Amino acid sequence: MRKFNKGLVYLLFAIPVITQLYPLLWLLMYSLKTNEEILDGNFFAFPRAVQWSNYKTAFESGSYLKFLSNSVFVTAVTMICVILLSSMVAYAISRFRWKYGNLVMTIFLMGMMIPMQATLLPLMIIFKNVHILNTHLSLILPYIAFSTPVSVFILSGFMKAIPHEIEESAFIDGANVYRIFRSIILPVSVPPMMTVCILTFINIWNEYILAATFISSEKLKTLPFGVYTFVSQYSVNYGAIGAFLVMGALPVILIYFFLSNQITKGMVAGAVKG
Amino acid sequence: MMKVLKVPARTIAVFVLPCLLLYVCLVFVPIVVSIYTGLLKWDGLTPSNFIGLGNFKDMFFNDPIFWPSVRRTLLYAVASMLEIPLCLLMAILLNRYLRKANTLVSIYFTPVILSVVIIGQLWKTIYNPASMGGMLNGVLTSLGLESWTHNWLTEPNIAMFALYFVSLWQYFGYHLLIQFTGVQNIPDELYEAAKIDGADGFKADRYITLPLIVPIFKISIVLAFIGSLQAFDLVMVMTGGGPAHATDVISTHMYNSSFLSFKYGYGSAIATFLVAVCLVFTGFINFFFNKLEKKYN
Repeated sequence: MRKFNKGLVYLLFAIPVITQLYPLLWLLMYSLKTNEEILDGNFFAFPRAVQWSNYKTAFESGSYLKFLSNSVFVTAVTMICVILLSSMVAYAISRFRWKYGNLVMTIFLMGMMIPMQATLLPLMIIFKNVHILNTHLSLILPYIAFSTPVSVFILSGFMKAIPHEIEESAFIDGANVYRIFRSIILPVSVPPMMTVCILTFINIWNEYILAATFISSEKLKTLPFGVYTFVSQYSVNYGAIGAFLVMGALPVILIYFFLSNQITKGMVAGAVKG
Repeated sequence: MMKVLKVPARTIAVFVLPCLLLYVCLVFVPIVVSIYTGLLKWDGLTPSNFIGLGNFKDMFFNDPIFWPSVRRTLLYAVASMLEIPLCLLMAILLNRYLRKANTLVSIYFTPVILSVVIIGQLWKTIYNPASMGGMLNGVLTSLGLESWTHNWLTEPNIAMFALYFVSLWQYFGYHLLIQFTGVQNIPDELYEAAKIDGADGFKADRYITLPLIVPIFKISIVLAFIGSLQAFDLVMVMTGGGPAHATDVISTHMYNSSFLSFKYGYGSAIATFLVAVCLVFTGFINFFFNKLEKKYN
């Protein structure tokens, strides 16, 4: 039995650390250099003098805070609606006795295979006709719709396993379905809800194409679209572009730094849905 | 014994309808609209003409961009799937050689959580010509490999591979994480039992890890495949399908036909094709892996 050389294995582990992190660190360096430093080709050098002015330019001319708050608003509303709506459906599918439970589940599961971009044009036509194009609503509605399948799947899987005795005794005490849902089912379902939150957050926070297609007002843009426009407008101010990219990545990186375990677990749970 | 709640239809409606209606209206209705629009000749402004399957005929027989974009999409899928066995090997090694590999896996995972816009712009900067501060060309030049430098994103023969690479780079951590979780979930007792029977190391992997990892492997394959069929954002951000359609995939071709050339009917026909391909391939992969799982059990 031939065994791998230990040193070789550790080298194998180290390579991806460099390949996956170095580009991000390089971007950070890049964002702190002057244009001349960037162009003179010393790629591994630290900035000679840290150029915070790049961040100042990016911050002042890029309406960063506007984009950030738009992203926070759109993502938060989407997350709240997804949690509420999909836990209601999940409850009905997993705990009620009715004929069409499986059918409803199948409809949701089918949706997981439908590519979002195939709905771009028809959605645009529909939104134009109901006059909500270029509003945050035109983003939030499809975001909710495309986040529900996974959420319903994860939540109903969890709810199926809640012991029936809890519900039963509440029922005997005279609580109705709504009451049981609100004060028993929702509180115990917090762990899968966290998973749903993480998945929805990562997907929606980073979504770019719908935003770029449906939004045209500068003041309504979300962060990824905002980053994209900034980069195309300031195409030769390399340092400022770097700074804006770093600022664009920062919120997610910070959240990931504190919650990396929950996030990786959530993403696996989301992947295992199929 | 009340196993499952029996509630009036009205209550069920209250719980199910808000979500279901929203979902059907925003996912299924658009697909149906899209299938119908695919049968029209329509520019979005002037009245439309019903031309039946005319768009599909054009797409299959007269469009010089269509088949190459399908080929690139499939190549994208194959490239992403080839990465997965490597991830599995790394996952097995990580699990064997390190007690606490979670931190390392979290580090590998970092690019996954970033927006494609950030990833795309970052790599555009890396791929830039050396005169614009591009890192890759700069490194090659300083190693004396000047002849290897390229305009990575503007040379038609290379641009697509440059894009594949970014995608493989971004999702490496994702597949590794999935495989790693799968390997971790295999109970240690199985390996101990195998050791007693004289099988350890790679022999144990052959008879224990591989069969048990099949379902997890399938998840990665489906994700990679569906992800590549839908590959879109990255191409849009980095090249928009250019230069001269050299990096067009199915969905960018659809987007450009609809939103740049204003061929709404034609774009919808491509969208219909995309949905059909996604459904067929997902079905096929599931079928294939169900057979494989049966064979192993």
